[in-house]
Amino acid sequence: MKNITITIFIILIVVILCLYFASFQVRETESALVTTFGKPKRVITEPGWYFKWPAPIQQVYKFDSRMRVYEANLGETTTKEAVPIIVNTYVVWRIAEPLQFFNANERGSVSEAERKLLSHISDTQNRIIGQHNFGEFVNSDSTKIKFEDIEREMRDDLNINQNIKGRYGVEVKTVGIKQLKISEDVSKDVFARMIADRDRKTEATKSEGEAEAISIKSDANSIKIEILAAATARAKAIQAEGDAQAAKSYKLLEADPPFAIFLQNIEAIKATLEKNSVIVLSADAYPFSLLREIPVLVPRDPNESK
Amino acid sequence: MTKQNREDNKDLQLQSPEKGADDKLDLGFQYLSNALRLSFIALKLIMIALVILFLASGFRTVGPDEEALVLRLGKIRGVGEERILGPGAHWVFPYPIDEIVKIPVEKKVNLAINSFWYYQTGQEIVSGTKRQVPPTQPLNPVRDGYCITRSEKQSAEIAGVDGSDYNIVHSKWQLTYQIVDSESFFRNVYVGDIKPGQDYFDVITRSINPLLKAVFDDAVVTAMVHYSIDEALSSQDRIPNHVKKLMQQKLAEQMNSGIEVVSVQLTDITWPRQVDLAFQAFITASNDKEERISKARTYTENTLNAAAGPVARELFAALHDETVREQEKDLLWSRAAGAAQATIARARAYATKVVEDAEADAEYLNKILPEYRQRPELVIQKIHRDAVVHVLEKADKKIMIQRTEGEGGREVWIRVGED
Repeated sequence: MKNITITIFIILIVVILCLYFASFQVRETESALVTTFGKPKRVITEPGWYFKWPAPIQQVYKFDSRMRVYEANLGETTTKEAVPIIVNTYVVWRIAEPLQFFNANERGSVSEAERKLLSHISDTQNRIIGQHNFGEFVNSDSTKIKFEDIEREMRDDLNINQNIKGRYGVEVKTVGIKQLKISEDVSKDVFARMIADRDRKTEATKSEGEAEAISIKSDANSIKIEILAAATARAKAIQAEGDAQAAKSYKLLEADPPFAIFLQNIEAIKATLEKNSVIVLSADAYPFSLLREIPVLVPRDPNESK
Repeated sequence: MTKQNREDNKDLQLQSPEKGADDKLDLGFQYLSNALRLSFIALKLIMIALVILFLASGFRTVGPDEEALVLRLGKIRGVGEERILGPGAHWVFPYPIDEIVKIPVEKKVNLAINSFWYYQTGQEIVSGTKRQVPPTQPLNPVRDGYCITRSEKQSAEIAGVDGSDYNIVHSKWQLTYQIVDSESFFRNVYVGDIKPGQDYFDVITRSINPLLKAVFDDAVVTAMVHYSIDEALSSQDRIPNHVKKLMQQKLAEQMNSGIEVVSVQLTDITWPRQVDLAFQAFITASNDKEERISKARTYTENTLNAAAGPVARELFAALHDETVREQEKDLLWSRAAGAAQATIARARAYATKVVEDAEADAEYLNKILPEYRQRPELVIQKIHRDAVVHVLEKADKKIMIQRTEGEGGREVWIRVGED
């Protein structure tokens, strides 16, 4: 019994050891290359469990096939019309072909691959940017800006024209420009222009403000004048209506015009001397004449009046 | 396992009678045997414990803000939704059969982007001062960060160039992102190996931040060239949304990264310090303009109110509108206030008075006419006297003059009824 246990145990250990030396896993994120005596034999891109001959005969090299970002340095280049610009390009790349990657880079070294990629990036960058005008990077007309197209062209140039996949087993997913700058000297010119621009706008704003304020005020005044004129016209109409209505009553005065005029004159005098008046009268004038002499009055015969 | 245990125990029991016989032969051998037996038991216990531990190591918990994938022999286990394990406890085969990969899906990560800001010394950053810089000091392309914005449309026309004039602007941003698709993220985005003692979340964040920074910078540069400096300075959400869209496009469409941009915030934006004076002057001018206009508006309000009250504008519009009916206009006039209303009210009062006076005159004449026809002199006398009395009563000053007869005569003035 004891022997069986030990035997099973030993077999188990041997099996595990065999599996350890003669099989390997390829993770979902990896690809692998199996070499026999140093020569590439098998490329594995599907994840799973694989067998191989133990160590000295076959060896496995695994490559992380996920996307990595690599940034080139800030570099000066020129556009089609020879405007110097400074750009910083980055690429997002992955190992796509394990065999080519292994062959091109010493035992699949990532840093070596990046070094090689760098020269291609600057090459592509200079060439593609050299095919475009500066106005395709920056333009007051949005439709003329080709920024994203330029980035796409750079990616395609790396993948297709420079054939980095065939050469290094590397695929570029994205190329982007993460800094777009200008030289120090040009920046000074830009400041001068910005200041001139701003000064012009400041002046324009000042005069605009003045003009607008004036126009608002004059609008107000003309509205006011027009309303008041309309109000006056309306008032006149109302007065005229009143006069017309009053004229109807004057017809009744026709019964004795001179008397009516007399009454109106009396009223007029009363009204005009209503307030704050100083009256200067001759002593002969009524009623002060009574102070000077008594009128001669003769009583009438009561019958005579009848 | 337990069965095997029992078998082992039987082995031990079988040994014990033998040991009883050996006892007399060699005491030392018995001790040795005992020691061996004990260590054998201990070894077995340790092995059992190890097996249990090995199996127990398959238990994994997935936190509330995580998802997990299981790699069985390197391949993602399961189909469809089963591929992703949600929060809770899970059992997987221990290494090397299964491997659990946790992805922090619900964790939002903030990333401050200062790569578009001018260079500041440590002291300047701490004190928050904005140093005055003359326009002759250039921007260093390595040290100073900035974006290029397009020029104004009209200034391009004035300059007569092809519209490729540009301005410089500095900005600071904050990016918030989150992993949303754990499988795409795991498959496609490089993450450094997690070494013992490291937090996997830190490792992931540290691994992907350079990628996100690069894509973000790219999106900012690409977006900014579409805006003028004034648009950039005053844009509330337009530019951040544009940046977000561009970034999302790259992350999702070009890379299938499983990362989503939660939000993009423009935390600060300013013109270069070199042009500060000109921009400040412009702001002052703009404020002046606003103030002038608002003053003019106030003047308008006051003027119109004084002219006709709140209905002034309506009234003005009605005066110019042929389609407005007279009734409506009358209604508006009746609601008018101010000078217009006063003018009309005066006219109304006049009209009323004129009519009333005329009526009163007519009535008076009518009443007095029969009497007058009978005794014209008396009636006239009476009316005249009443009028004189009335006038004299009302007069403030009454002066009587007596002129002596003939040339060189003197006048005597008498004031009457003065206090």
